[in-house]
This record gives sequence, C-alpha cells and structure tokens, in this order.
Amino acid sequence: MGLFMQTTVNGILIGGIFITIAVGFSISYGVMHIVDFAVGEWIMLGAFTAFWLNQYTKIDPLLLIPFIALFFALVGYLFQPIIQKVVNIKHRSAAMMALAFTFGLSTLLRGSALTLWGFNNRNLVTMLSEMNVNLFGITVPAIRAAATVFSIFVTAAFAFFLYRTKTGITIRAAAEDKTVAGLMGIDGHRISRLVYAIYVGLTAMSGVFIGSIFSVFPDMGLRYTAFAFFVVVAGGMGSFSGAIVAGLLLGLISSFVSVYVGGAYVFLILFFILYLILVFLPKGILGKGW
Amino acid sequence: MFKKLSIMRGLALLAISGLFLSLVGCGSASTGAGSGASTEARDYYKVGVITSLSGAEVYGGNVTKYGYELWADAVNKKGGIKVGDKSYQVKLIYADDQSDPTAGANAAERLITSEKVDFILGPYTSGVTKAVAPILDKYKVPMITGSAESPTIWTQKFAYTFGTIPAADLTANSPLDTLAKLPNPPKTVAVLGVNDAFSKAVAEAFKASAEKKGMKVVKYDVVPAGTDFTPLISAIKQLNPDVLAVGGHETEHMQVIKGSKSLGFMPKAFVMHYGITTPDFIKNTGKDGDYVYGAAVWTPDLKLKDDLFGTVQDYVKASKEKFNAVPDYTQAGCSATGEAFSAALAKIGAKPPLSEQQREQLVKALEQIDIQTFYGPIKFATDGNWYHDNVGLKALTIQMLNGDQLVVGPNDMKAKDPVYPVPAFNAR
Repeated sequence: MGLFMQTTVNGILIGGIFITIAVGFSISYGVMHIVDFAVGEWIMLGAFTAFWLNQYTKIDPLLLIPFIALFFALVGYLFQPIIQKVVNIKHRSAAMMALAFTFGLSTLLRGSALTLWGFNNRNLVTMLSEMNVNLFGITVPAIRAAATVFSIFVTAAFAFFLYRTKTGITIRAAAEDKTVAGLMGIDGHRISRLVYAIYVGLTAMSGVFIGSIFSVFPDMGLRYTAFAFFVVVAGGMGSFSGAIVAGLLLGLISSFVSVYVGGAYVFLILFFILYLILVFLPKGILGKGW
Repeated sequence: MFKKLSIMRGLALLAISGLFLSLVGCGSASTGAGSGASTEARDYYKVGVITSLSGAEVYGGNVTKYGYELWADAVNKKGGIKVGDKSYQVKLIYADDQSDPTAGANAAERLITSEKVDFILGPYTSGVTKAVAPILDKYKVPMITGSAESPTIWTQKFAYTFGTIPAADLTANSPLDTLAKLPNPPKTVAVLGVNDAFSKAVAEAFKASAEKKGMKVVKYDVVPAGTDFTPLISAIKQLNPDVLAVGGHETEHMQVIKGSKSLGFMPKAFVMHYGITTPDFIKNTGKDGDYVYGAAVWTPDLKLKDDLFGTVQDYVKASKEKFNAVPDYTQAGCSATGEAFSAALAKIGAKPPLSEQQREQLVKALEQIDIQTFYGPIKFATDGNWYHDNVGLKALTIQMLNGDQLVVGPNDMKAKDPVYPVPAFNAR
C-alpha cells in the first residue's frame, strides 16, 4: 500500500512538471496551428538563464521565476512574427513550413548553447533543493512538490485568464475558429503573438524547475519535446483541460510502469497508449480537441 | 501599426542573425583544424578522430578529445612519430559523431574517403564504436579507441578495431568483489542500468558479480536513456537493498545521487562505474558524491612512466595546464592509443601517407606490440572473446573522497581501506 501511494504521488509530481508546458504548448498549437519543435529549447534557455542570473546575482532561482517568465514572454512576443512570416510563405504547406522552421530553430538553439556554454552539466541549487517533505509517511522531494503546486497555481491563473477575461475569450475564440473569430473583429495576428508570448514565458519558467530537479545542460530539453507531443495528442489538439489531464496521465503511467512493470517499458507503453488514443479517441481523451 | 510591427520584426531578425553569426563564428573556429586539403604527398600523419562533440554524450566526448590532443601535443613537441631516421608530425582531424551511431558511421566514411586519414582514434561511446568498426573493415583503416568498454565490440572480432581499456565485463566486477571480502559484506543489491552498449554491459556485470558472490539481487532494471529515476528509486527504497549499483554515465549518476538524497534513500553504498571521476560529477554532487564506489584501470596517482609523457604525475600536470582537468582513466586511455600507433608505425617503417598495404601491415604490427606506457602495459588480445582489446590492465576498486579517487581494492593494490557502510548524506 505504501508503495502504491508513493507511486501515485510520484506520478502526480512527474505530471505536475508537464502540465505548465503542456498547457502553453497546446494553446499555442490551438491558436497558431504551429507545432513548436523548439519547446524543449525554451525549457533549456529558461534553465540556463536562471543558472547564469543566479551565478551573478546570487538570488535564489525560484525567486527569479517571475523575471524569467516576463523576459521570455517578451522574447516570444518579438519572435512570433518571424515564425508567422515563414508560415505564411505562399505556395507552401503552412504546417510543413512551421515544422521545418521550428525544428531548425531547435537545432540552432541547442547548437548555440553548446558552443556558448559548453557541454558541462550544471547544478541549479535552490532553497528547496536539499529538503524533502513527509506526507502521510511518503517522502516527497520539496522541489518537486513546489513545482507541482506552482504549476497548478499557474495553470489555474491561466484558466482564469482564458475563461474570465475578454482577452482570454478572444484567445479561445481564435483557437476554436480563426476565420470566424476574424470576422467578429478579433485581430488574429495580435492574438497569435500574445499566445506565443505566454507559451514561451510559461515554458521557460518550467525550465527553472526542471533544471533544479535534474541538471542544466544544452540537451536537457530534448525529452520534453517528445513528451509535449504526447500530451498534446493525448489531450486533444488545442484543448486546455485535455492537456492537464494528459499531463497527469503521462506522469502516472511513467510512474506506475516503472515501478510495477519495469523502467525498460515506460516509453514503449507510453507511446502504445498514445497510439490507441489516436486510433480510438482521435479528439483526445476528453474528446475536446480537433 | 504596420510600421511598428516591421520595426519589431527587424529587431527580432537582428537578434536571430546575431545568434546565427556567433554560432557560425565559433563553429568554424573549432573545426578549423580539419580543413586541410588532401594531397597525396605529405610529410605528416593525418589522424582521424571520431568522437561525441555534440549530443547526449558530449561531456565524455570531450574527455576523449582531451586525451587525444594531449598525445598529439606531446608527440609533436618531440618532433613527431619517429620512423626510420626521420620524424613526422601528426595532425588531428576531428569528426563529430553527435553521440549517434549512424552519424558516427557517416563521419568515419567521410574521414576515410574525403580526408584520406592514415588511421583513426576512436569514439567515446561503445554504440558509436560498433557502428564505425564495420566501415573501417570495409576500407581497411585501423582504429584504436581509448574509451569504448562494451564487451560486445570485441566478440564481433572486427579486424581493424582495437581498444586500450579492458572491456567492462573484465572491470565492473571489482567493486562488488572488494565489498564481498569485507567482514560485513552487503547481502542485497539493486541494479539499475541505462540501455546503451556500455551502461547495459556494466549493469549486467554488476548483477553477475553480485550473484557470484552470493548477494541477492532484489531489483534489476535496464531503462532507456532519459528516464526519470524518481519512481525507480522510490521502488528501490521500499526494497531497502544494502547496495544500489548503477550502470550509466555521469549525467545519470548525478541524477541517481540527487534523486536518492531528495527521496531520503541512503543505501550502505552506491556502486557505479565510469563517470564518477569526472569533474562534473565531483563538482555537482559535492559531498553527496563522496564514498561512491567505482571501477578504474588507471588513477592519477599510479607509479608508471614512459618516454613520451614522463611519469603519470607529469601527464596529470600537462592535463591540468592545458584543460584545467584532472585526467581519468578514459582520458589517459585515449592518450595511450597514440603510443600504440607510434610503436607500430616505427616497427613497420611506414611513412605518411599510408597505402592500403601499409595499413594492413599496421594492423599486424598492432597485434604484435607489447609496450609499457604511463597507462600500463599495452598488448592487444589476438583471439578469444576480447579480440583486439587490451585485457592486461588490472581493474581497481576506487572510492571517491573530496573529489579524489582512492584505490580501496584489490588488497594488493589498495591505498586505503574501503569505507562501508558509508556515512549518510546528512552526516558528512
């Protein structure tokens, strides 16, 4: 029973890390119809920024999070028009152009990081790194607990923004049907930029947690690119609630498979389930995607 | 609005092109050494180096690069490789395998067909080595790897591939053997491994040696690279083994130590293999990395020497000066590869560039060499399961303390008694 509880909690904690990334990734896909291959690299850049700022200012990385989120939101805001321009090139398939462009961007960012900062693993130490909390006899690393709590908080705030504010409603409208939204007077370009900015900000912010849970190095984002795809496809393309459920599901499957079946089978089972979802629930587990 | 947008676009484009330029600039600087045009007549040896300069194993790839470079520096400083009455300089031509076997095979093909290298110094990972070896057999270009340790390289009996480090199944048993000889030996062991050629071989060897010594293996799991270890460590914590043995590289070792600490899991000892002596592991784990057991065939305080590098201490000094890094057995093993080639070239009197026939002779000469180096004896096996591997080196059990690797076994080699059980993380 103890092991079962521990496995469940671990699963939720792993899933917690994915939720923030998944939500941003999913909404940005919903609005822009762009699959961003560079999602892992935004994570990596967020982690590196936290690392360097921490080196020079000695401010705890966790306290740097608001700054990193804002800074990368700005980066995303400035960068989005370039993607848009590439995607809008005439006589080319927009989806293919977006894939090729972001794939190149991902390689470029990883290569630049490798050249600039070298291959070393770096340790991102936060005030919570050494601690663990005991919940009902289960030991939980404090930094992971914090990452999950934080991600729930951020996701809730994001949900509030999407469902309760005017801008949020326009974003959802654009995600649902860009053409009709455009006809209703919603500026699609402005919304796309805003959404991309939010997505990059959220993703870079998650990078701070991921960097402190594991370590910071140029290739650290790669595995999250694969997971982001899982979450978006399983949750239904562009679905907000679907992304949350899929993020948790991903964490729970990883955790239970590695404990009860064997770590060797995690990816196999994970992507087999994804295959089943694609075949039987093409709109995602909640049926809300498209 | 439109105007404002285009200014923004301009700014963003500027930022991107800046990134591009910095990449291109640095990129060409680091590969500049390899751009020499291939001419038939040259008075230096063109030496190909295939290793992981990007991708997941970029850290270790650079460890091998340090080793190969130190050899080239040392030999060029002496005038070059002496063949007959003349010495010939060596020039290293790098090819990045991107930590990927397929990319490694392409790199080998390119080094051979367009760079026309005389011989090759081998990859960091075993996976890449296994992909490169058939290409070398096809083109008849000899290679010595100073790093790859998977036993499966040697069982395939590649004619042109050699290695200076004994295979992992010859070395990985040493830490558990040392622990088994203690008055209170460990009774239970959990083994985790990463699914790559080297790490898996290490995990298998840990399991086999534990079972041979009568320890119970309570968990054995070989997982894909990139797996989150937390749930596995949680499960292992419930089983409460005396020892957690891990087959992996420095990144995974760091994650296991970090993960165990944050989950409050402290076995009586951690046993790992290659990676714990790297500066990254030492720096990032700090005191938490102390007391970890590992295996090595060479440590920086051995009393060995040769004509090229001088004593082991001279070699360590040269490495510290050039790379600010204390060498480990992989780096040293890489430096030793060049010594084997030098000896074999001198023996057959082959001047650069080498013809196909001379390369065939070079392989025969490599099979016959028996030299003493700062790394220990180099003599490649010519038959059996470790074909072309340098099996003569003795496996040492090491235990880390304050970033130093202390030899704690076998008994006739030890500098210190092993500490077991080790102090808990918070009691150091």
